[in-house]
Amino acid sequence: MIHLQSLSKTYDTPAGAFPALRNIDLEIAAGEFVAIVGKSGSGKSTLLNMVGGIDRPSSGTLSVGGRSIQGLTHSELASWRGRTVGFVFQFFQLLPTLTVAENVMLPMDFCGVRPRSERRKHAMSLLDRVALADQADKLPSALSGGQQQRVAIARALANDPPVILADEPTGNLDSETSIAIFRLFGELSGEGKTLLVVTHDREAAVSVSRTVTIVDGCVV
Amino acid sequence: MCGVIAPRWRKVLRDIADTPLRTALAVTAMAAGAFGVTMILTSYSVLKRELKTTYSDTRPASAVLVLESPANDVLVDSVRRMPEVRDAESRPVIGGRLFIGNGQWVPLILFVVRDFGDIRLDRFTPDAGAWPPGDGEVLIERSSLSVARAAIGDRVIVRTSDHVERPLRIAGTVHAAGLAPGWMEHAVAGFVKSNPQMAQRNTDKGNLADQIRILVTGDTLDEKHIRDIANRVARSIGHVTRIEVPTPGRHPHAAQMDTFLYLLGAFGVLTFALSAVLVATMIHALLTEQLRQVGVMKTLGASTTQIASLYLGQVAILAAAAIAIGVPLGIAAGQAYARFAASMLNATITNAMPALWIVAAEVAAGIAIPLLVALGPVAHAARISIHEAFSNDVGGKRFGTRGFDRWLARIQWMPRPLMLSLRTTFHRRGRLVLTVATLAAGGAAFIAAMNVSATWTRTLDADGRARRFDIQAVFARPYPAAQVMQALASVPDVVHAECWTEAGATLGDANVSFVGPDVNSKLLALPLIAGRWLRPDDDAVAVINQSVLSLDPTLHLGGDIPINVNAHVGRLRIIGIVKELAPRATVYAPPRAILRATGKPPGLARSVRIVTRQRDASGQVAASKAIEQALENAGISVAGIQALSDSRKSFSDHLVIIKSALIFAALLVVLVGGLGLTSTLTLNVFERTREIGILSAIGATPGTIARDVVFEGMVMAVLSWCAALLVSIPITFALDAATGQMFIRSALDFYMSPIAAAVWLLLVLILAALSSFYPARRSARLAVREAIAYE
Repeated sequence: MIHLQSLSKTYDTPAGAFPALRNIDLEIAAGEFVAIVGKSGSGKSTLLNMVGGIDRPSSGTLSVGGRSIQGLTHSELASWRGRTVGFVFQFFQLLPTLTVAENVMLPMDFCGVRPRSERRKHAMSLLDRVALADQADKLPSALSGGQQQRVAIARALANDPPVILADEPTGNLDSETSIAIFRLFGELSGEGKTLLVVTHDREAAVSVSRTVTIVDGCVV
Repeated sequence: MCGVIAPRWRKVLRDIADTPLRTALAVTAMAAGAFGVTMILTSYSVLKRELKTTYSDTRPASAVLVLESPANDVLVDSVRRMPEVRDAESRPVIGGRLFIGNGQWVPLILFVVRDFGDIRLDRFTPDAGAWPPGDGEVLIERSSLSVARAAIGDRVIVRTSDHVERPLRIAGTVHAAGLAPGWMEHAVAGFVKSNPQMAQRNTDKGNLADQIRILVTGDTLDEKHIRDIANRVARSIGHVTRIEVPTPGRHPHAAQMDTFLYLLGAFGVLTFALSAVLVATMIHALLTEQLRQVGVMKTLGASTTQIASLYLGQVAILAAAAIAIGVPLGIAAGQAYARFAASMLNATITNAMPALWIVAAEVAAGIAIPLLVALGPVAHAARISIHEAFSNDVGGKRFGTRGFDRWLARIQWMPRPLMLSLRTTFHRRGRLVLTVATLAAGGAAFIAAMNVSATWTRTLDADGRARRFDIQAVFARPYPAAQVMQALASVPDVVHAECWTEAGATLGDANVSFVGPDVNSKLLALPLIAGRWLRPDDDAVAVINQSVLSLDPTLHLGGDIPINVNAHVGRLRIIGIVKELAPRATVYAPPRAILRATGKPPGLARSVRIVTRQRDASGQVAASKAIEQALENAGISVAGIQALSDSRKSFSDHLVIIKSALIFAALLVVLVGGLGLTSTLTLNVFERTREIGILSAIGATPGTIARDVVFEGMVMAVLSWCAALLVSIPITFALDAATGQMFIRSALDFYMSPIAAAVWLLLVLILAALSSFYPARRSARLAVREAIAYE
């Protein structure tokens, strides 16, 4: 499902070129639940950003779902991302002025994946899945951190993408909530979704199918 | 409810509604811009239309034929029947003075109207009181009632220059839109009924002018055409002594109106530029805080176009709100200002509505300009990569990557929090540039307005200094100069007196004054544009003022001027060109050259210029009474006596309308710029809420934070002030040149007013302090956790 070959990323900084990723070769099959671990600054988030099309590699090849994403324009990339990848962030990144249900409907809105009349119904079913249907019309600020992250997961699933990418999804949550979030990820993986999760949380990450460790931009 | 509006548009609406303060600031700033532009555009368009129609509605005469003897009805009828004459009317004019008490007189011009029920040309309309006037009654032009220091029903003493005094009762007032406002001219205009007694008692030809006014057929705006017809009419009726052709289609104060409208237009453009920068600043501020959300939406699959349309939509909504507030207020204020300006020009606004297309253009521009201005920043924000959107240093290089930053970082002597403020200011360069540009645009317009106003005052002062006499008396006919000097010798207030030689002359078709100052005179020191002033040994030479030059632009230094006196053309070599404030065309020449042209014997004087002991305004007035008395006692009939302070006041009153436009522009700019400054700086502080939270977390007190933010505002204010000064230079230069050229036919001397610069500095510092202090204190008082979590 995800295929990286000799992937490198170098950033130009005032202190000189900084290689964030060096010659990464990585193969992730459909339905795998992979944890990416490593120290701060080791390149974990950079790797995730490359896979999600948030950042572009300096060299090497990268394909997701059999499609090389390097040649895509900004617009094509946006549309591809909306349909193929669901993102979950450490700080949830829900839009503060939209209600919970509206946040979940937003990706459908952008990508136009479902008839307009069905979007709310679909959002409600996703919220039901994360046990937050009763909070659908509240604003994110009224929810706890764990609830907000579950909304973010529901949002990531809105367009039914084959790949879910999560960057420190439990970094801001207590351990009990973290375990619940990983359990949810496990279920998604069981349904055939490919999950790539950057995490420090070894305790919660027990349910993963594979762990990739990154040190100084290299997979070890 | 959910199916109707897509979530992304609901986000736009809620972003607007959920941040009422920010929305209010943005809308206020944009509304201020819309208000300013609408106000100026409204007053400009209404005044331009109404001033024109007010004047053309009077049916101005194309030409005035001055006759040797009274025109009877048969003669007027015969002129009317001429094919090239559309209409004609006889309206004799009597010059004189009106007694205003305390030994003082003011100039008076009386129009004798044959039939108040059949006014055909240079129309005037009843304003208050009776209409028509009876025998022994006068109707006063409404703008000169205050000059007469009288009210309707009062009896006033009128003295025509042949020394006949008669009482007249003011029966009412009229509005004569074709006349220059009396309060500006410091003269009274009145209308009386024609009666044989009045005509008989005014037989002096210098005093009563019998006139026929004609309106020509064909092109009434073609001066040559008018002159041709007037000459034909004159030949046909005979005994015409002079033909006057006022500039076709031009009100006597058209130059003033043009200057005034030009200033309105110029400041309209400046306000427009200011509001455009203001809108750009607002949009920049709105977008900066939305960048993270742009990043999130992009990860959810939003395309660049979708994001751009969201924010352009938001801008359009804010702009619509701004228009809804700014345009109606601007129209109302513009109408009020138009009414005020019209009253100053003695015009009446009959229809204060701006043309529909102007309102439509204002609304369209109010939406289109913000969208156009927003296109760049929105495109930038929409194209930003997710990576950039999530990192903190958006939209610029990191601090320290530029030489200037490193230079700034080497400044170590300042307190650390202040250094932080300074570096923050210069770090967010886009924000800095926009904020400074907004303030500078406002500042430049303000300073330019004040500069031009100060330049006019200085021009007036310089002209006053150039005339070193205090009183000028004009006699009803020439008297021996020795007799005049002898009479004046008895007046203790008189220090020095000079009788100059003067004559009426024409240059081409235009009337010019032909003045010969005493060869040793020190009473006139007009500023030279080129060449030199007259010397005692000069003979056939002339110094002309810039108004003469504008009558005939081919005249030049070293060339000859053909000057026509009593139908005899003489040529004088031009040795100098001077600048005078009065727009009257004047040719200065040695007295002997003038005497030669007129063929009159030397030693006769028609006027005298006097230096008095007490040189202030009240001293001049007191002396003028004593002088008039002494001259009258010596049998010299005084047609007019004017203290220089009075003529100066009259000229400065002519500038009132121009200054009003400048002050109006300056105030408008202060309002628009002030609102813009306040909202921009307030939004700047909002942007820094997170940073302020961090400062609080590491121990900064609310007081320190507020001080630093205020300092940052001050730095921006001072920077903007420097930019404003620079930008105001070309604007001032252009306005000085244009308004001078329109009004006195010569560019004004460039002048930068230190007061203008100081006032704006003070204003911008106060506004900066106020508009940063409150948001800074608010941010400093936020709980640290709240501030850091601030989105």
